[in-house]
Amino acid sequence: METFSQFNPTLLLVAIFTPLIVGLILLAGKTLPRSFSSGFAFLGFALPAAIAVWLFLPSSEAFGSPLKLRFTGPWGFSFGLNGISLPLFAMTAVVGLAAGIKALIQEVENRNAYLGLVLFMLGGTLGVFATDNIIGFYFFHEFALVPTFILTLYWGGEGRRSAAMQMAIYLTVGAMLSLAGILIAMSAAGLSLMDATFEQLFLGLHNPQVSLPTATAAITLFGFGTLASLFPFHSWAAPGYSAAPTPVSMIHAGALKKFGLYGIIIIAAASMNIGHGTVGKWFLICAVANVVIAGLICLAQRDLKQLISWSSVAHMGPIFLGIWVCTSRGVAAGLDAALFLMVAHGLSCAALFLLANAVRTRAGTYRFDELGGLAKHTPILAACFVAATMASVGLPGFGNFWGEIGVFLSLKGESLWLQALVASTVVISAVYSLRAVANVFFGPPSKEITERFSFAPFKDLSGAERLATFILLGASLAIGFAPHLITRHTNEDAQGLAKLSKLTQANSPHSTPSAR
Amino acid sequence: MDPIQSLHWILFLPLVSATCIALFLRRHGSIAAWLSTATAFSIAGLALNLLLTTDGKIGWHHDLAKLGEISLGFGYLLDANARLMLFVVTFVAAWIHLFSIGYMHDDEARGRFFGGLSIFMFSILGIVLADNLLMTFIFWELVGFSSYMLIAHYFDKDFAAAASKKAFITNRVGDLGFILGIAFCLHHYGTLNFEALASVSTFQGVPIIVGLLLMCGFLGKSAQFPLHVWLTDAMAGPTPVSALIHAATMVAAGVYFMARVSFLLAPEVLQWMAVSGAGMAALAGLCALAQTDIKKSLAYSTLAHLGIMGCALGLGHPELAVLHMAMHAFFKATLFLGAGSVIHGCHHEQDMLKMGGLLKKMPITAATFIAATLSNCAVPFFAGWYSKDAIIEAAWQQHHYAIFTFLALAALATCIYSGRMLRLVFLGHPQSKNAEQAHESPWTMTTPIIILGLGYSIAAGFAADAIIPASSRQVIEKPLQEMAFHLSAPSTWVGFFALTFGLLGSLKFYAIFPGRDSLQVFSPQTYKLLEYRYFDHAYGWYINHIQRRLAEFIAFLDLLVINGLAVRWIAGGFTAAVGQLTSRTFHRGQTRGYALWITLGSLLIIWFLLAR
Repeated sequence: METFSQFNPTLLLVAIFTPLIVGLILLAGKTLPRSFSSGFAFLGFALPAAIAVWLFLPSSEAFGSPLKLRFTGPWGFSFGLNGISLPLFAMTAVVGLAAGIKALIQEVENRNAYLGLVLFMLGGTLGVFATDNIIGFYFFHEFALVPTFILTLYWGGEGRRSAAMQMAIYLTVGAMLSLAGILIAMSAAGLSLMDATFEQLFLGLHNPQVSLPTATAAITLFGFGTLASLFPFHSWAAPGYSAAPTPVSMIHAGALKKFGLYGIIIIAAASMNIGHGTVGKWFLICAVANVVIAGLICLAQRDLKQLISWSSVAHMGPIFLGIWVCTSRGVAAGLDAALFLMVAHGLSCAALFLLANAVRTRAGTYRFDELGGLAKHTPILAACFVAATMASVGLPGFGNFWGEIGVFLSLKGESLWLQALVASTVVISAVYSLRAVANVFFGPPSKEITERFSFAPFKDLSGAERLATFILLGASLAIGFAPHLITRHTNEDAQGLAKLSKLTQANSPHSTPSAR
Repeated sequence: MDPIQSLHWILFLPLVSATCIALFLRRHGSIAAWLSTATAFSIAGLALNLLLTTDGKIGWHHDLAKLGEISLGFGYLLDANARLMLFVVTFVAAWIHLFSIGYMHDDEARGRFFGGLSIFMFSILGIVLADNLLMTFIFWELVGFSSYMLIAHYFDKDFAAAASKKAFITNRVGDLGFILGIAFCLHHYGTLNFEALASVSTFQGVPIIVGLLLMCGFLGKSAQFPLHVWLTDAMAGPTPVSALIHAATMVAAGVYFMARVSFLLAPEVLQWMAVSGAGMAALAGLCALAQTDIKKSLAYSTLAHLGIMGCALGLGHPELAVLHMAMHAFFKATLFLGAGSVIHGCHHEQDMLKMGGLLKKMPITAATFIAATLSNCAVPFFAGWYSKDAIIEAAWQQHHYAIFTFLALAALATCIYSGRMLRLVFLGHPQSKNAEQAHESPWTMTTPIIILGLGYSIAAGFAADAIIPASSRQVIEKPLQEMAFHLSAPSTWVGFFALTFGLLGSLKFYAIFPGRDSLQVFSPQTYKLLEYRYFDHAYGWYINHIQRRLAEFIAFLDLLVINGLAVRWIAGGFTAAVGQLTSRTFHRGQTRGYALWITLGSLLIIWFLLAR
């Protein structure tokens, strides 16, 4: 371990800063020749993925499992990966590579700036999961969010202005609320923002002498919740993803959104006892609403990209529930499954955005009433879309299955009604997803498709699109067939958090520590 | 080969075949077809070898990973039931693969089709071998997916697209209960392993709810009331798929699973299964009379037999249910393949009223179809007779006279629709050009129906000893001994009556109006009643009038209340209260002011949530 510890941090830094530096150069070099900027940008997308996968796979068992690194980098930021953040880091890099491939084949104005900003988004998101102090956590998050807004505003689709505005406001507010909660907690624990790590915050808040104002946990939880589209703070998400350019939707909905969930786990759940008392109760209600209400809203969608955006909101429900049951009941399986689903959802949701855009570039529309029978002209696209849909509805073989079934099983001690309500997602998601598949790909080709095809015949999925899809679905299949790839990292931390929750419950049956 | 090793091969060979086809052989339909078929025959050979050479229980287990305290187990449990099911599935499937080579010869998407068949084999074998509930559920879902994929084979047809969707979703409704049942077992018994569950549940007793929940999975997969609506539509898939998946194996997997967890079924659950199974058998049998599409008529026949199997489970005879499943697999696969051969020969004509006189034009198909029909009607010493009469007899012996009556009615209906089918398809004169020009099918199609039809529909029961080897004989012998056949048994009288009046009567009755359905001519109301689309209409009404409207209403509320009002309006309300100065920043739409108000609004909501 000693011999590698010098090497590893460098790798981590390379993974985070390569996209940032490449992005900066592309932003500055507007006139760089196309072939150069393409190759250079590809490097920025591919290198982090290679490093992250290498760190993630069993070959890095040499570092001890779960992998834990920590060191202080430039400007006083400290970096590290733990069992929870490593799978998210790896997923981000993989999604980033696929999104990068998509961005590279898009024809856009100001291409270098576009690629540069997407790289910034990726670098920032990687930084979020690779930093282990609080200021770095927020810094990298903003570093990813600002390009998201700009990209949506300038390169987005229909309704991009209002969507970008709404998204900017919601996400800023969410981040500020959670930060406010953390600041309150830190001042209670006597820590300073500039150099506190997650670990110090954890230790500080678990000091029995520290007491938190009641609302701290709630503000932090719902602040982070807003960023992860927790009901009822989800209004930004669907229009935001829908209006954004596809690579941005992929990185945002797939990876960056997990900032909020990661924050809930590593800060709110670990140190603020969100599972108990009134906060816990409302957390549960909101999470169930995510499953049921957002699920029903999906049924009402008439536009493919809107549907995928909404389903991405609905799929957050089981994740929240997994976190809830771990912090509230001390069921470690809940957190393990939630993390599994976070990774798997990132992959499947990015694949769906990618393929939906492939539909759009061919058929010229996302609207269900104009689409239909596309499988006849583009069988490979259809097959890939069906596969991504099946991943998203939790078909075994794909990673999503372990996450979903794990959350359902971790709720085994709850009332049957709650379980049934949550598990109803297997039916609801099948209904809206298969309806979308049938509407877009099956049946005889629609009038619009036939006209468009006879006017300008379109081709099946291109090599680059196939590559991006195979990367995402291949990763999902890998963790689906070998679930220990994820759980070997997450098990220990999930057990720890579950144990902690049980201890808290045992120590104070009536009041939460945050209310003491 | 070590038995465990052969089980690995049996399970994973089809997956390898499917992967190869998906990645490399999409455009090489004939290679894909032979690869898939070769795989099917290899695993049938391995399964036969296991059946002949092994005995007792064989188990193997490996934990894939742990989610918290939950082990994600993967393992095999090969007992007598599993051995028989393994043999039946692989054997029937192998011949159906061969049949498909001929049947799908001109299909452009043969690669996809055979890839789908291989995926299906992988999935169904997983259910057969699984040693725990979670693994069963995994393969249960995969079976649902492969069925979806194969029903949607002709995806450019609207009805196939709709049918595939319907099948998958209906199955998922059942799976919802299944998941809850798994969670219940895990919570209540602390394990998902079948053997552990069997021992723990005898200690702790079995609550009704666990059986009810697990039964939901069975209702969906085996198309039992009220989740039976998908099976007749599933006939939109290619005929070999109907034979393999929607007659012989997948729908029977529900029965097999229930037999496997029969120790978790409380008496009340069994009671329900017996009554609803028998009712389903009678109802579906009668409905088969009002179908002109040969495949739909057979689909109702399948529903009826599944009802009989469910009834056997409910009567407390899981081994009889598995036996009937095996027998049914042979003769129903033959019937479907025969129907496929007929459809193929008649240039894709599926309407029985437009057939006729095929006995002379397709003698091999006709002979095997008739043999399988006699087995279906439970003519003594044909395969179906052994299991079906035993079930009817069991109902009588247990004094369940209502169930007995339903089953007797089902037996009668079976004979009537079988006679009708024979009459309309094979006897009389051709009723259309397609039927006049019919020709016998190629050897790849006739060989399987000869083997499955003549060989197994007749012999499976007649020479059970020879065909069902020793290791699985306990599954069969026990019920046969227990039922103690003798001529005065009520079931024998039921059979006699059904055969004379039903089979012979319908052969005569349906000869009255060539080219038309006699029942429809005599009593259009009865015919219409039996066409039976009530449940489809009811579900359709629910989807259009309740589910869709509810979804749209909620979407509207979300837009109005949460997006429009809660966050912004609370902000706006504050504005009014706080006054002119701040109001100006708000209305000018400056981002900072706007953000401020959304912050305040969000805080207010949180405060509201926290204030009890």
